[in-house]
Amino acid sequence: MLAVLGVAVATAMLLDMVMLATGMRESFRELLLSQGFDIRLAPKGTLPFDTDATIPGVSAITGVLRSNPDIREISPVLGGSIHIPVGARDVSAAVLGVDPTVQGDYEFLSGRDITTPDAIVANDYLLKKLRASFGDTLNVSAGYDPQTRTYSGQRKLVLTGKARFIYGATEQSAAAVRRETLEALGGGARRDRASLFMVRVRKGASPDSVRNWIATQIPSVSAISVATAIAEVDQRLSYFRQLAFILGAVSLFVGFLLVTTLVTVSVNERAGEIAVMRAIGVSRAHVVQQIVIEGVAISVVGAIIGLALGLVTARYLNSILSAFPGLPMAIDFFLFQPRAAWSALGLLVGSGIFAGIYPAWRAASLPIAESLRREAIA
Amino acid sequence: MLLPFLAFALFLQAPQPSQRTIAIDEAFAAEAHLKVGDRVAISAQPDASAPAESVIVGAIVRRGADPSQVARGDFVVRMHLDQLQKISGYGDRVDRFAIATRPSADIDLTLQRINHVAFGFRAYRSRDIAVETSRTFQVVSRFHRAIGVITIVASSLFLLCIMILKVEERRPYIAALRLLGISRSSVVRSIIIEAAVVAVLGSVLGVALGWVVSFFVNWHYQALYRTPLYFSIITPPIISLAVSLSLVLGIGAGVLASMRLVRTPPLALFGR
Repeated sequence: MLAVLGVAVATAMLLDMVMLATGMRESFRELLLSQGFDIRLAPKGTLPFDTDATIPGVSAITGVLRSNPDIREISPVLGGSIHIPVGARDVSAAVLGVDPTVQGDYEFLSGRDITTPDAIVANDYLLKKLRASFGDTLNVSAGYDPQTRTYSGQRKLVLTGKARFIYGATEQSAAAVRRETLEALGGGARRDRASLFMVRVRKGASPDSVRNWIATQIPSVSAISVATAIAEVDQRLSYFRQLAFILGAVSLFVGFLLVTTLVTVSVNERAGEIAVMRAIGVSRAHVVQQIVIEGVAISVVGAIIGLALGLVTARYLNSILSAFPGLPMAIDFFLFQPRAAWSALGLLVGSGIFAGIYPAWRAASLPIAESLRREAIA
Repeated sequence: MLLPFLAFALFLQAPQPSQRTIAIDEAFAAEAHLKVGDRVAISAQPDASAPAESVIVGAIVRRGADPSQVARGDFVVRMHLDQLQKISGYGDRVDRFAIATRPSADIDLTLQRINHVAFGFRAYRSRDIAVETSRTFQVVSRFHRAIGVITIVASSLFLLCIMILKVEERRPYIAALRLLGISRSSVVRSIIIEAAVVAVLGSVLGVALGWVVSFFVNWHYQALYRTPLYFSIITPPIISLAVSLSLVLGIGAGVLASMRLVRTPPLALFGR
């Protein structure tokens, strides 16, 4: 029982590590593709929203992009921050300026979307901080001087709806307005600028070819495909993949060692019984088969318990890593995929077979007469 | 923050030449193939249309150990304050002031005084800011602790199994001892002592192995993230925790295994 529990814990750890190694990348890929945009354009040498740099000439770039028949949709996004006075308090939030008909940054939940230039939608966290409800008028500013308590670029906007920001971090206040509204809030400095372009490619067209075309046509931006973005995240979070690989290998080894020891001791205890079987004509292959099956059985039973245990621990570990500062709340480090479970089970069964080979070989090589004599004396 | 605004580009013909210098970090120097004396153009925006200023690379510096920057792969450039204010359009503004106090100063009192007269800003202890900026490492730390607990459970079960199986293997020997008149308590004691010795020897080997692994972990990740930070440190409290835990588990396994055997009649242990 103890050995099966040991195998179960090793399996749980192995499943968690397989989930960690593959889940993070898969979750990020799903997040990037969730709105169907295949390519992002960021200011040259940067990643989307990694810096406050912006891309000038939105109209010109949009025109160039529209000339490619493989590009289906273009969504320019301008990012920034806003300040809203609430009584004596100043509430600040991240804001996105988008075109609501093509945006892929938020999921609209309730109320009315930003269909007019004076509309603003906010996430739940910001709504709570503002203690505002739909229809309320907010004094929104692009700048705030805390020393003089003065706001710059102030404008009255009507809170029209609630949204969930797909790339937003936990406990991040966020809002969205029309891009032209945000441009106006920032004054002339931000006119015709965007922080990011999101590009949707026509069905059947190759995103990589379109990305290469953009890189040639608009050299002033960095064109980032989903694969490039995933590679960048992979590089930044390589620590977790390496940790997953090492701990997964250790778990597999511990499980293997546990089954080998258990089956070896079991064979030693049943040496006489095995010798009798051999003496009455049971073939070596049959003895080997029996012992290997025993190893696999322990592994399978342990693995089944371990898979359930692994899912529980993965959930707990995921809740710890979700607290990473600035991480989009939709990212899961431990993402359950049937493939991960099958991989863990396959590795365990494979190690169970290998674990049974050594004791099986020992059992098959037992000298029959000597083992029987020893058994008789005992 | 001012620094993330900056973007750099190399120009053959430097705009607005000046003799002012900047310091860049080693990683940036390696990536951009820059050396001391090179002239670069700096701008607040990565597009060529933005105003740029030509400066000279005056120094290449090694970055300090900053946990908040470890996985970001950003480059760091240090420049004169007025120059940064000018190119970023920040005016006569700063993000923060760093204040060094005299060794005899009461820091809490100083903080109180500053915050009393402050208007539009707030003073914090460097220690408190460090805690806030190292949130990434705090999360990693919590994750490691959780993984550590799972590993301990797995290794405990492993150790228990091995000990029980090891003692089980010696059934005839223990039966012989019991038949010779050796008391149950003596048998239990001898097994427990043996288990404790095995646990201590194992943990000493484990600490040595851990030290070697820790050395390679630091070597690898310091090179990967280009940081002098230590990723793995073996401290006396960690060693004492590992040894004590191993000892407790070893003794526990010894007690469990020996109690199971001494309760069985000696002849039954012989298979009779």
